[in-house]
Amino acid sequence: MRPQLASFLHANRWVWTAIAVVLLWLLLSTVTGRWSLASLSGIVTSASFLTLVALGQMLVVTTGRGNIDLSVSAVMTLSAFLALLVIQGDDGRIWIGLAATLALGAGIGLVNGFLVIGLRIPAIIATLATGYILATAALMANAAVVAPKVSPGLRWVATGRIAGVPVIILVTLLVVIAIALVLRRSVFGRQLSATGQNRTAAALAGVPVNRVLMTAFVASAMLASLTGLILGAYVGGAFLELGQPYLLQSVAAVVLGGTLITGGLASAFGAFFAAILLILMVTIMQIMGLPRGTQDMVQGAAVILVLAFASRSAMTRASPAGPAKGDGNNTNQSAATSKS
Amino acid sequence: MADDLNTAQADASGTPIVSLEAITKVYGPTRANDGIDLEIAPGEVIGLVGGNGAGKSTLMRILCGVETPDAGRIMVDGSLAPPSYGAAEAQAHGIRIVHQELSLCTNLTVAENFFIEAPGHTRATPGWRAPFRARASAALERVFPGHGIDPDALVGTLTIGERQLVEIARAIATPGVRLIILDEPTSSLSANRSAQLISFVHDRAAEGLAFIFISHKLKEITEIATSVALLRNGQLVWRGHANDTSADHLIDLMGGSKQALFDSPSGNAGLEEKVIEIGAPYSDTPIALARGSIIALAGLEGSGQQPFLRALYRNGQGAKRRLPAAFVAGDRQKEGVFPLWSVLSNISIGRLAGRQALATVDRRTELEAVETPAAQLRLDAARFDAPVLELSGGNQQKALVARALVGQAPLILLDDPTRGVDIATKQDFYQLLRRIADAGRTIIWNTTEDAELVFADRVLVFAGGRIVADLTGANITASAVLAASFASADKAAETEMTPFARIGRLLTALLPYASLAIVLGLMFNANPITATSFGLDLLLMPAVALSLIAVAQMFIIGGSEIDLGAGAFAALVSVLAATILFDITIFGLIAVALAIAAYSSIGALIQIRKIPAIVVTLGASFIWLGIGFTIQPTPGGSAPAWAQALVRWKLGGLPTSILLIAGIAAVAIIIDRTPLGVVLRGFGNNTHAMRLSGWSALRYAVIRYAIAGLFAATAGLVLTAINTASDINSGNSYTLLSVAAVVMGGAALLGGVISPLGAVVGAVTLTLIGALLGMMNIPSVFNPATQGLLLLMILAIRSLSMRSGDETG
Repeated sequence: MRPQLASFLHANRWVWTAIAVVLLWLLLSTVTGRWSLASLSGIVTSASFLTLVALGQMLVVTTGRGNIDLSVSAVMTLSAFLALLVIQGDDGRIWIGLAATLALGAGIGLVNGFLVIGLRIPAIIATLATGYILATAALMANAAVVAPKVSPGLRWVATGRIAGVPVIILVTLLVVIAIALVLRRSVFGRQLSATGQNRTAAALAGVPVNRVLMTAFVASAMLASLTGLILGAYVGGAFLELGQPYLLQSVAAVVLGGTLITGGLASAFGAFFAAILLILMVTIMQIMGLPRGTQDMVQGAAVILVLAFASRSAMTRASPAGPAKGDGNNTNQSAATSKS
Repeated sequence: MADDLNTAQADASGTPIVSLEAITKVYGPTRANDGIDLEIAPGEVIGLVGGNGAGKSTLMRILCGVETPDAGRIMVDGSLAPPSYGAAEAQAHGIRIVHQELSLCTNLTVAENFFIEAPGHTRATPGWRAPFRARASAALERVFPGHGIDPDALVGTLTIGERQLVEIARAIATPGVRLIILDEPTSSLSANRSAQLISFVHDRAAEGLAFIFISHKLKEITEIATSVALLRNGQLVWRGHANDTSADHLIDLMGGSKQALFDSPSGNAGLEEKVIEIGAPYSDTPIALARGSIIALAGLEGSGQQPFLRALYRNGQGAKRRLPAAFVAGDRQKEGVFPLWSVLSNISIGRLAGRQALATVDRRTELEAVETPAAQLRLDAARFDAPVLELSGGNQQKALVARALVGQAPLILLDDPTRGVDIATKQDFYQLLRRIADAGRTIIWNTTEDAELVFADRVLVFAGGRIVADLTGANITASAVLAASFASADKAAETEMTPFARIGRLLTALLPYASLAIVLGLMFNANPITATSFGLDLLLMPAVALSLIAVAQMFIIGGSEIDLGAGAFAALVSVLAATILFDITIFGLIAVALAIAAYSSIGALIQIRKIPAIVVTLGASFIWLGIGFTIQPTPGGSAPAWAQALVRWKLGGLPTSILLIAGIAAVAIIIDRTPLGVVLRGFGNNTHAMRLSGWSALRYAVIRYAIAGLFAATAGLVLTAINTASDINSGNSYTLLSVAAVVMGGAALLGGVISPLGAVVGAVTLTLIGALLGMMNIPSVFNPATQGLLLLMILAIRSLSMRSGDETG
């Protein structure tokens, strides 16, 4: 492989996911004998919801140290209920509903961030606990919703089209491009990557690591709450299991999209294409008439296989024990001190 | 006087223990070892010296079987070592290494660490620790009389210096040991302990034990060694008797110059602006530092220079600065480089780190900003786009200094930046630092090389965490620094936990049990019937399955991993039990065994491919669910009669569920206390150290997951037995609850710290919360929130008490 192409592929690992999407879509079209963009638009619509959640998850994962946001599904469900309760099917109240939902997301993100940064609780446990608390809130909201009614305006966002393209896809693309730009071209993108690669080094280089971490958790919760709001409108209400499938799938989309699960390297486009890939896989399995159990197995196996084989090359990082060139002798006293 | 003794021993040597012949090892373009011959005879003490990158570490790794040479032969006891020569063979021949980076498991006791190093044929019988306890005490007493270390103390509670004592004693006490490699052993020892070690080495060498002593302290080498081997650029350039050489001679051989590079610096008399103020706890009398000077922090390593430098960077108590600062880390891998980035990005982060989050970054301005400092440091601009890890250690360090320079910070803090850097690069550094200081920036420089003090305008000497001398101008002499640091060295009391912190720790450890007691108390109070045997039995039956899954989860967490598929796996086994196992017992048993095998192969996969357990097990959970769903799409099936009998028996008037839970806890505790349990926890704490001690990570990953799989499968069986039917979705809630139970019970997610009893108590508490809320007429919707809040509360208290412990310890 020519070096330029190699470095392009290294920097743009989403290309592989995109190629997989195209191949699978060709397969689907061949199998069904229909070469329509319409079928793809349905798939991308479903993938849009997943993408939005996955982007938030991606930011949290990129902060490194095994950080993950297990509360996204609970945030989605609760937000869908909250939107129903606040908007009450009235277009005039959409903005209040949007503000309330986003405020809820921001609040949850702040709590998650505080637990992780302030109390030094591992993210997986902190978001697990907030997820429990949110589950109670969702149960209560479920009891409070009497007759779910979706406002026409919100329904248009979820299901409408502009020039034949679903609005939700356009919204998602905007968010994907915005996050991709932030990751590549902004100071925050650099700070996030630095924090994820080596938090100690980032802090010593002057990166405001706590602010970066907090931003990631807040962004994740806000994106999840936004998705919950629109998804609720899409399905015409809210139900307790609304967010449930999105936990594994968001992590799967992050991993399949070329984001390093160990942190420090993210790809927004990768998450987008990986979301499409996942939905496409499920769709193909449905068309092939595979039972649900098999679909689950294939999805689970896909995540494991991709992790085990495809993302290997980018994951090889300098191991402190390894023979770094001409540098095998640094005294690790300070490391031992900081570990204790 | 030592020299006479040494010569005598060197002459008395017989057949070499090991001889390395023409050893060559190549990494990419670097010949790390280039045809090295080295013979080690019994009773010999070889001082191995060489700059960084000279190939010492590689050679020692090859000697210990951790690394395979590309060419050359290893002769052990006069016969050729097999091609498979590995860590285990090296150990079998009595070769032991004491590393700079400590290779103890901090979550195990001192005695257990002795077991890990040399397990012998230990069986899982009660009291199996006793011989290791005795060995630990004896070994410590022998090398370091008056050490005061309890063999039952957790290594994590010892100070760094104490850990070093344990590490050395452990290697020396190994049965059958014949060659001990000490890699910078005195770096964290007090003068007194170093002297004890040196005299011990002399004594043991006289008895025929061989040593390789690696040190950068050349004076120490000439004192301790009988012969010296000097490496440069991967080649053995000098080998001879210790009395035929001197520190100066060795420096010349290494390519360094003993001459000072500069005269004592001019200083910036004109700039009197005070930019840093130092006070308590570092100094009783306030010290103010002026702009535009080089201030060195000196003293014995680990005397508080690093914490002070960090405090200054944070602008913390007693170390106030008035200007922005940039930090240059000396430990590049751990605190310096960003391994995924190019050289350019690694440098320019220094400029970007403090800017507005949404400000844009573009390559051209990045390049412009980096150009000047890179040129000053003689960093090759053509390599800006190379991955930073492709640079040599010295060039990586230059990139880190360049990072500090691009930020334009008027204060630059350097944490031993020349560690592991070749001499030519060092000289570039010194010149640059002078230029920077002359340009008006202030440099605070923690150095461990006394020779570097000559470049400082002012030297603050540290001992025991405090500044004990403040030297300027002509007063800066090596002897003044040494006198100051050693005068207070013995006073450097090793920090101990305050009684307050100890009580805090104890109370925190009791939290899970207190929570259970409170929940039970509230329940008995709300409804006295619950206090009866019947009531408890009924309430706790659901806790049996959770306890089992929690124990499964605990073993995974003990390996510093987490299983997000444990609940789904239990549900799968539950389905298997209610269907295949119910229909044809033998097929059912085979199916369950296959499931456990599949489960433990997940552990193997995680280990082999080095992939995060969280995501793999999350993926696996879908596989378990999918299989279960395929076998049984809707809830149903029946429980085998014998499985029902498993949970329906009676023993006197005692509640069966409590007996079952107690049994689960007992089995978990016993496994955890056996040698196997200790090994599993060791892996959770320090995989690298376990590997060095000859344990197979893969094998124990499989065993760990097999044990967890057995517990989770039993949980599935119990679920089927209690519900007399199965539902593949029944396991979902158990996964997260099991993590919550284990963590509540006192486990740390990283570091292999687990508590079997705590995990079971956590599981019981979480189960009872639902019942308690019901009795108190609180709607059941509050159940998850209460569980979540309890978990957060316990973790918050624990984290706060740990932090107060950190500050004192």
